[in-house]
Amino acid sequence: MTNEHLQRCLDEMARDDVDVLVLGREANARYVSGATRLWLAGTRPFGPGCVVVRSTGAVHLLSGTDDLVPLPRDRLFPMSWSPGNIVRALTAIPGVADAHRIAVDSLTPGFDGLLRDALPDARLVDGSDLVARVRRFKTADDVVAIRDAVAVAEHALSCALGSLRPGVRERDLVGAFVEASSEQGVTTPAFDPVFSVVVDGSARAFATARTVAAGDLVDATVGVLAHGWEGRLARTWVCGEPGDAQRDAWRAWTNQRDRIVPLVRPGTRVGDLQCGDGVEIRGVGTGDELLDDDVTLAPGIVVAVSIRHAGVHVEDTLLVTETGYERLTTFPYGPLADATS
Amino acid sequence: MSTRETGTAAIDFDAPPVDFARLHHDRVAKLRGAMQANGVDSLVLLGQSNVVYATGARAPAADSSLAAHRRMVAIVEAGDASPHLYTSFPDGVPGDLPVDHVHDGLLVETDAGAAELVVRWPRGRVALDEYTMPLLRALDGREVLDATAVTSAAKIVKTADEIALIRTAELLNEAAMRDVEPLVQPGVHATELSGRFLRRIFELGATANTVDPIFQLMPHSIDDGPYSATGDLVFPTVTRDVVLQRGDVVWVDTGINYHGYASDFGRTWIVGQEPTARQRDQFARWREVITRVSDVVRPGASAADLVRAAGEVYGRRPWPAHLYLGHGIGTDSAEMPLVGTDLGLDFDETLVLAAGMIVVLEPIAWEDGHGGFRAEEILAVTDDGCEPLTHYHYWPFETS
Repeated sequence: MTNEHLQRCLDEMARDDVDVLVLGREANARYVSGATRLWLAGTRPFGPGCVVVRSTGAVHLLSGTDDLVPLPRDRLFPMSWSPGNIVRALTAIPGVADAHRIAVDSLTPGFDGLLRDALPDARLVDGSDLVARVRRFKTADDVVAIRDAVAVAEHALSCALGSLRPGVRERDLVGAFVEASSEQGVTTPAFDPVFSVVVDGSARAFATARTVAAGDLVDATVGVLAHGWEGRLARTWVCGEPGDAQRDAWRAWTNQRDRIVPLVRPGTRVGDLQCGDGVEIRGVGTGDELLDDDVTLAPGIVVAVSIRHAGVHVEDTLLVTETGYERLTTFPYGPLADATS
Repeated sequence: MSTRETGTAAIDFDAPPVDFARLHHDRVAKLRGAMQANGVDSLVLLGQSNVVYATGARAPAADSSLAAHRRMVAIVEAGDASPHLYTSFPDGVPGDLPVDHVHDGLLVETDAGAAELVVRWPRGRVALDEYTMPLLRALDGREVLDATAVTSAAKIVKTADEIALIRTAELLNEAAMRDVEPLVQPGVHATELSGRFLRRIFELGATANTVDPIFQLMPHSIDDGPYSATGDLVFPTVTRDVVLQRGDVVWVDTGINYHGYASDFGRTWIVGQEPTARQRDQFARWREVITRVSDVVRPGASAADLVRAAGEVYGRRPWPAHLYLGHGIGTDSAEMPLVGTDLGLDFDETLVLAAGMIVVLEPIAWEDGHGGFRAEEILAVTDDGCEPLTHYHYWPFETS
């Protein structure tokens, strides 16, 4: 899988006349190197953690070990607390010192200055679009990896919803989810799961100590990072039997879904899909992918389609095919759907 | 249940022992002080731990790419006691932030969002912590200073409220570990330990998990372990789904977030048996390092003084070359003061401790060929010495 990723990346570098690609974003490094490094939550400032050199076709990685790093040992460069030392290690990589165009996926004012000083003859250019373009189109193996990640999230969600009963707190459901994910060997999330009682038609962005009561709607938005790949979904579950208003809400949601989801096919602009209130489209891969409104769907793109409507939130992962889409999510829609079918 | 017994005091993790309005006010005052000292008129902050520091706002914890794509932005200006916050998460906006300072999220990872931020760009000398590529493009060569000097200077000394949050974060981490420890038995998967830990921190009221919990099975010698690019000990590695065997030595390292502040927990466990005499000796030597270093931790001591006090253990410096003897902690899990890094002793000489700084000591006692002991102790520098913020026991070496 990694070799194909690297080849695509090298092809795009040739197209954009980029000699060296310096990646600070972990998801980009994961994609081109196939490496698993220690997972940390949240944003990190740019550091040159992964370097792709077009002339040699080599990927170099900031790592003190080849444990879970499928690269030759001479492609590793060690961690340093000194930005100057890191830039020296970078410029020592074969092919970097005589590069004319070096693309970066992000930057800090500090590294901007250090890189310009260390490589005065090179032009620093934007490599973020290049990597985004490469990552957007999935190989058959990529789709298998995403399907597997979704399955991990689905199993963990099934365990968590198994403990949904009156009196359980939102964050107890979070706890049940992360434990069930770990029991499948996956201890890293795509994001911290959110289980939130729907109040006045909306869920919160964070789980709390709130207790779920009989008849409550609970928004479950969950995601894992399994072997470097995202698997995510959302479901709205009722604690107990759905009432009339909830059945109506589900019907309203399905109407909205039936308007949106058939548009997932080659040729549709993401902006046209996202025009409805409460519709969010994200690219799924070795981490979240931002899809601008002007991206046009094409076969091989995998999107998470999140639709919030009438207090119901459901998100599925869809692979765009030649003629439409294939749903990679297999999880049932639950008591709301069962009661209205 | 969110209440845990720790010694004599019961802790309600749902009632953080701080005045958040005061905390937020004090942090902005420190930032503005550091801005003045560095000749900076305004700060534009995109790094999420910096935004949290400046505003007290919360965004959902996520893998780095999603966190970046949904990032909050803060602008701090010299003439304004309140920061401006741009966020897509109204649930995470602190109540004490004036409503006219709270704005919809800016998608600074897109050209449109970056252009909007540039429209709002403050006047004067502006320091920034990090660029997105669209932002770099939209700034079109405008002069931008590096915000690191300002944010580091503000963050390095903690207020009493900040220390209280770090102390409570650590207590929550420890409470979760008390429920993990009984699982450490032959036949258990390392990832089951992670699962129990993650479950407990969320049940107890942690704001987020911040690092994939580390339960690394240690080799007897560096050569028996994973390949090392430096020749020194490889730690940490990513936790794998391995089954614990009797006699395995497990180095534990975890960290959570509690109301914006990080914990850092490190211990050495042995699976299914008592420590050997040699392992007890390793533990004793590790503890001697902690005692020697703690004895010199006080205002006025330099990081180099700590490095010298740590000395050598089993004929080597008691930490891996690529890591450190100790580090600070706050809205980041490792921040200044960094003690004993490859920045070198000259750098360590310039780093002078002051009351309110935090040092997380994480030495190792590594006896190559026979394994070693590692644990972490968090110290808050006080007016005349230091106060430990770690209270966990040393099972199976000591239990009390």
